[in-house]
Amino acid sequence: MKIFKLFIDENIKTWKKISTKIMIIAIILSLFAVLAFVKFLEKTEENLIISSSVVENEKEYLEREIEYYETQLENEKLDEQSRLNIQRNLELYKLFLEYNISPYNNSWENELASYIVEQKVNGQNIDELLNILKNKNFKEYIEYQKKQQKQQLENNSISEQEYNDNLIILNLKEKYEIGKEYSQESYWKRNIIQKIENAQYSLRTGINKETNKLIKAEEKQDLEDSIKLNIYRLENNIPDANNGSNSNYRMRFELLAPMFSMAVISIAIIVIAGGTISNEISTGTIKFWALTPNKRWKIMTAKLISILFYIIILVLITSLLNVFIANVFFAQEGETYLYCKNGEIKEIGNTLYTIEYYLVKSIPIIIFALFAVMLSTITRNTAVAVSFSVALYIGNSIIMQIINQFITKDWIRFIPFNNLNLTTKIFPNSTDMTSMMFGTNFATSTSLVFSLAVLGVCAFLMLVTMYDSFNKRDII
Amino acid sequence: MCVCKKGFNLTETLVLKENFSYLTETLEKREKGKRFYMSKVVLELENVNKTFGKRKVIDNISLSVKEGEVYGFLGPNGSGKTTTIKMILNLIDRDSGIIKVNGYDTKKQFEKAMECIGGIVENPDMYRYMSGIDNLKLHARLRNIDKKRIDEVLKLVELNGRENDKVGKYSLGMKQRLGLALTLLHKPKVLILDEPTNGLDPAGIKKLRDILKEIAHKDGVAVFVSSHILAEMQQMCDKVAVLDNGKIVKVEEISETKEEATEHVELRVKNINKTIKILKEKFNLEAKTEKDAINILLPTENLPKVVKELAISDVEIKAVIPKSHTLEDIFFDATEKEKNKK
Repeated sequence: MKIFKLFIDENIKTWKKISTKIMIIAIILSLFAVLAFVKFLEKTEENLIISSSVVENEKEYLEREIEYYETQLENEKLDEQSRLNIQRNLELYKLFLEYNISPYNNSWENELASYIVEQKVNGQNIDELLNILKNKNFKEYIEYQKKQQKQQLENNSISEQEYNDNLIILNLKEKYEIGKEYSQESYWKRNIIQKIENAQYSLRTGINKETNKLIKAEEKQDLEDSIKLNIYRLENNIPDANNGSNSNYRMRFELLAPMFSMAVISIAIIVIAGGTISNEISTGTIKFWALTPNKRWKIMTAKLISILFYIIILVLITSLLNVFIANVFFAQEGETYLYCKNGEIKEIGNTLYTIEYYLVKSIPIIIFALFAVMLSTITRNTAVAVSFSVALYIGNSIIMQIINQFITKDWIRFIPFNNLNLTTKIFPNSTDMTSMMFGTNFATSTSLVFSLAVLGVCAFLMLVTMYDSFNKRDII
Repeated sequence: MCVCKKGFNLTETLVLKENFSYLTETLEKREKGKRFYMSKVVLELENVNKTFGKRKVIDNISLSVKEGEVYGFLGPNGSGKTTTIKMILNLIDRDSGIIKVNGYDTKKQFEKAMECIGGIVENPDMYRYMSGIDNLKLHARLRNIDKKRIDEVLKLVELNGRENDKVGKYSLGMKQRLGLALTLLHKPKVLILDEPTNGLDPAGIKKLRDILKEIAHKDGVAVFVSSHILAEMQQMCDKVAVLDNGKIVKVEEISETKEEATEHVELRVKNINKTIKILKEKFNLEAKTEKDAINILLPTENLPKVVKELAISDVEIKAVIPKSHTLEDIFFDATEKEKNKK
């Protein structure tokens, strides 16, 4: 009860500071800054797309290229290999010209044309293929591919597993017409097909296609789940955020906004936390509290609880504002988080997911806030406490990146900074900007429970230090 | 106790039993109006020691302060006044000894002891960016004090009307008074002030003195004031302890009656030997000579007679200077003695 009253007082005291209000405004502004940035990108890239449309020039371009290759062929000094390459290109470009295929777009026609040239060089019959190209029939193309797969299976050139996998891919392509039309909107589907193919390859060969490392037993389950998830995405038309496409600006906003606003929140919280004890001691107001009938540990606890309270309140406000801004300023749907539990796919709605994501991201802030409070109690110097904590907050990922490069021993996973990235562990299917920037490293390979344990021990040690220091040292 | 002495017989006291508490109350109030030294001890220090590193800052201090008493804690700079006060308020830890506030040990029964104590150490530090009343409200919440009491205290320290201004805009005197209001909010039994007159103008000092005397003598609060300014302590305090180098060298009650009974007088005359002779023969007074001055201690009512006698005897009197037994004497006597011992 007494702690609660101290807590209320602490909040009133902090709220009445002008700096607190400035910080809140800064946090809100950070979201709008990201919004402005994304909107700016949207506008400039729109212009880019329009200016780069060269559809009318395509024909001209192809004719010019063909002419160029023909003159090249007349050169008698060419060796056999180059001659063959040039001939292939010539054939391909002629096909493009003939069937009115854009050489820029990575369309299925483009793919088929290349295939035809290949077959022609190999001396195979290409009439059937040319027919498909002439009709521009996507379905027939898929059917043809299926037939090819079956033939390969009969020739024993591919395993049954591979045949089945490929058949799944082809069926998906047929069902959702992936690759039929080239557009920004359908780009994510092709991306997902690529992901499924990669996962299938990894499972089949036992080698992770992305990292070129052997996959472990527990990774296998993840890969199977990811295939299921991606098929679910196609079925329910739920694009993922990390789809390689630039068109979904809402998702870009949702990626950037948490990163940016959380940085501002962290610094604001560190500034508040770094002054908790030292500011009170330097202004003498610590006596204000110490002369009330409250034991020192109660005063300290009230201060810590209030810092935790600020973190939660700020994070909740920011996450809700994030959802609100995204809903108001972007036409697209927000990211829905999908996860696989016991083979079943579950969805978390955009609003709830954003809030949860923010809350998970705030766990490292608690650690840095504790660090700042500890320094503040020990050094009794706000400048030292705040600057050290902010430096560590900003620099920790880079420092750890360097350390992880040079030390490959097992114990580095016990370093708390290697365990700060919890979002990728709690939301493994989410796209986290930090992991996108720094890639997967040692830090992401530890389990969630391990990371939480390391952070818990770290927090406990800091708490013991600060309570001990505050209880025993004189207040002067 | 007092009621019985005034001659009530037993039956009457029984009849008056219901009114007894009322009677004692009114009597006590009357007593408080005067001054009372018979009441209980609310602040007690027993053999308190403190060392900072190798230096012994507080050396076996013992003292006790009673209800309604203004207790002066006098000493030169660096004698350990503030350290003692911080130990009483538990801001710093003591090495050994017992400090009790209203019977509660400040270490073992910290929260109970702090309920009965209020204090200002060094400066009255408050949140500068908040208004005076907001600062008071913070404290009031912690101690379950209602709005009425806040107004009451503001009126007492004469800050009503300015309570909504930011503390940063207050003058030093106002800050001191607000600090006092803050410590008085919960009606402490013991009030501890560390150099409360620092930086105050004469008017401010007088106001502070009046407030302190009022709360001590009316409400029975034990006020423990430290200072190095002698004159101010003399006007304010009932009892003074002199601290030097961490030791209490003297405890003295400053009583008006004592001053009235005997008087220290300095006589400046031309004919010193003659004067001494007259004083010895006619009044049986021991005189000390100091250059051309004669110091005597005599009952106050005798002074006119002495002067008359000397005038009749043709002694040329240059000056008669009454020297009251002041705090300055106590202070310098005590501190000199300490130095001589060494």
